[in-house]
Amino acid sequence: MELLRLENVTKRFGGLVAVNKVSFTVEKGEAIGIVGPNGSGKTTLYNLINGVYFPDEGRIYFEGQDITELPTHARAPLGMARTFQIPRPFGGATTRENVAVGAMFGHAKASVDEALEIADEYLKLVGIYDKGDVEAARLTPLEKKLMEVARALAMKPKLLLLDEVMAGMNPSDIDQLIELLKRVKEEEDISIVSMVEHLMHAITKFAERVIVMHQGEKLLEGPTMEVLNHPKVVEIYLGKKVV
Amino acid sequence: MRFFEKYASLIPVLLIYAILFAIGISFPGMWQPVAFIMFYITLGQAFNIFLGLTGYVDFGYVAFLALGAYGMAIAVDNLGGANLGYGIILIGLLLAILMASILSVAVGAVALRLRGAYFAIATIGVNEGFRYFVEGARLWGGSEGIIISGDMRNIFGRETANFISTFVSDILVFIIAILAAIVTILIMNRRMGYALMAVREDEDAAKVMGINVTKYKVMAFITSASFAGLIGASAWTLKMTYVFPSDVFLITYTVEAIVIVMLGGAGTLMGPIVGGLIYGILKYYLSITLPGFQLLVLAPLLIVIVVAFPDGVVGALRRRLTGNVKKYLR
Amino acid sequence: MPFFEQLAGNLVYGAILGSVYGLSTMGLSLIFGVLRIVNVGHGPFIMLGAFTAFWMFTLFGIAPVVSISVALVLGLALGFVIFFAVIRRLINAPELSTLLATFAIGIFLEEIAKFMWGPDHRGYSWDIGDIDIGITLIPYSKILAFISSIIIAYLLYMWFQKTKLGAAIRAVVEDSGGAAACGINVGRIYALSFAIGIGLTVASGVLVTLFVPVGINPYMGHEYTLKAFVIAVLGGLASPWGAFYAGFIFGLIENGSYTLLGLIPGVEPFSLTRFVAFSLLLVILLIKPTGLLGGENK
Repeated sequence: MELLRLENVTKRFGGLVAVNKVSFTVEKGEAIGIVGPNGSGKTTLYNLINGVYFPDEGRIYFEGQDITELPTHARAPLGMARTFQIPRPFGGATTRENVAVGAMFGHAKASVDEALEIADEYLKLVGIYDKGDVEAARLTPLEKKLMEVARALAMKPKLLLLDEVMAGMNPSDIDQLIELLKRVKEEEDISIVSMVEHLMHAITKFAERVIVMHQGEKLLEGPTMEVLNHPKVVEIYLGKKVV
Repeated sequence: MRFFEKYASLIPVLLIYAILFAIGISFPGMWQPVAFIMFYITLGQAFNIFLGLTGYVDFGYVAFLALGAYGMAIAVDNLGGANLGYGIILIGLLLAILMASILSVAVGAVALRLRGAYFAIATIGVNEGFRYFVEGARLWGGSEGIIISGDMRNIFGRETANFISTFVSDILVFIIAILAAIVTILIMNRRMGYALMAVREDEDAAKVMGINVTKYKVMAFITSASFAGLIGASAWTLKMTYVFPSDVFLITYTVEAIVIVMLGGAGTLMGPIVGGLIYGILKYYLSITLPGFQLLVLAPLLIVIVVAFPDGVVGALRRRLTGNVKKYLR
Repeated sequence: MPFFEQLAGNLVYGAILGSVYGLSTMGLSLIFGVLRIVNVGHGPFIMLGAFTAFWMFTLFGIAPVVSISVALVLGLALGFVIFFAVIRRLINAPELSTLLATFAIGIFLEEIAKFMWGPDHRGYSWDIGDIDIGITLIPYSKILAFISSIIIAYLLYMWFQKTKLGAAIRAVVEDSGGAAACGINVGRIYALSFAIGIGLTVASGVLVTLFVPVGINPYMGHEYTLKAFVIAVLGGLASPWGAFYAGFIFGLIENGSYTLLGLIPGVEPFSLTRFVAFSLLLVILLIKPTGLLGGENK
């Protein structure tokens, strides 16, 4: 079953083409990695899927519905959730309230009381339950990332978009997070798209399929190990020019 | 238990109102200063529903008070012969809400699509733009305004008319203050409160979380404007028995509302009450010692608050409190 | 056709006044462009310039064109003081803080002016003759205001283009993070830009007095705050040059609509013209909040 489909999506900023004719699909319950160096158009791609920007060309479908020009706020209730590369907590509110906001306005569409319970559940899951009453602005960088994962999961999404969520974490934290994501993905049947710049090691443990972005274009797509060992990918990451 | 926890913060608010009311009616000569202070508390509470809960500032806020004042004046002026008794005040209040909320929908629908700075720019001319419209198009008596003291005497007789302007209007302000506090806490406890918190903290992230930010901003704006309309109708028209555009569109009231909210603590329930108390008392004495120069003191005060105490009195206090006491102070 | 003559005359007058409007808005746009701060208390700085011109003329008999430099220096000094006392502490604060602070600063200036000089409307007359352009008489003083505005705007433009400091400011407008990485002292650029912005605004207040014969009073700024925002938004909020051109357009619209509104019986065209300005602001913000003449594209 197809969950998300991008068809020839293009986004330009002035003269710069940030994303160029990118097409791919995400199946229900799938784990995909999007790999690409800085400036390869990964974050723009997320912003297009998310509705922060609208594409100049191409269409985007979610569960068969054309969402190309759907406003941002209307996408989360359909079952979309994301984290940010630099975490964006609602700093003045408590960690619990942050996660509850996700449950209230995301696909879960919970009432305030339900949302606060869901929040506790996911705070326990990611292991920061004891920080529930702390102002989110005072969390450590790692805790902020975990809070964002909890907030996104509390939305009960069908599609979870992770933006460099493992960057800056130590290996044991990464392993823990990957285990957690794998478990949630199985239990709640979520498709997860995870975007990374480096961390090839992490992506091999997690993604079933990998898409490689380069200079705004989709360079390669296929099974994880196959793609990551492809000569073109090796070239990009050794800094050589791709022909 | 949960219910009590959610609404416990109303107790100290109502207690303060009750104490003020008791002081006002028990001690001779105290009603007037109490009513004076209550006007500022209520103004702060009404404005806090927008400024405090959304983090957006409306520099044309006084226009809503002005339209409320006109609503009451128009009702009394046009329906004076209809023999409605106190019913006319009710109609005036409803018209005040209607007119203030229509303007807020018109301004909000355009301006609240815009982000903070652009919104502020859009509102900066609202009160003066509207004043020029009233004067320029000779609307509602143009620059001569509407005087209702004669109508009030005809409808109610001299004694009752006097009673309305010196007592009923103040009682109405008390009632508006209670309503505003209840509405504020209702918003804070509901999805709308969480949505507005998210808007205040990070509007883009709020959208990604699925929050229709424009909808919630407009809702807060209309609610806040409606309360402003009620205040204008009660504290101005019924009390003064006249409406002049040069008085009611005065930017001073917007500044006062901002100072009260920021001084007490934006986005808190108790903030505008503390702010209104401090400001009301301060102004009462300043208007005796420094008549006509309140703004000369107010403006630097606002600068100091913004630079040094952006959380206000209640915001700063809440940071120091923990657990059990905190639920009483929101 | 007396109507068309009147319209043509008003349009010429509008273009002349528009140059002053443009100059008076450049400071607002510069400050927004560099510091991302909207100076909500913009108008009161124009009022300070107007009082400078008034006192220089009435006390010392100094012509307004000379007072421009005095006002500029005063404005620069005031800009630095305000920057270091208040604005510097709010650079990283939420937008609400700077909006409230600049608003309060504006009101403070008005109240000081009222405290020192009283609430009365004042004026002075600098009569150096008129020129007849066929459809109407234009005083030389207003022509001088027109020329001065253009010269100041041009000098600023050259300074931005040709000097290192000007280039540094342009770099900060583009990307303050990148500019800092290139070794530009962003804090100093902020201070300088704020001071120049205020200096320009105060200087423009001197020229404003040549158009308001008896309108110098502590609260005269409100009107110009509103107009400046219309113009700034019209020209793209972050672009001083866009603002300068937009000033002309606004002058034409304002004086054109004044003439047309005068044809409608029963209305008071002077007040309604100001309402037109406000409506225009909302309309532009609705269509394209980042400005009709390009500018910022975010």
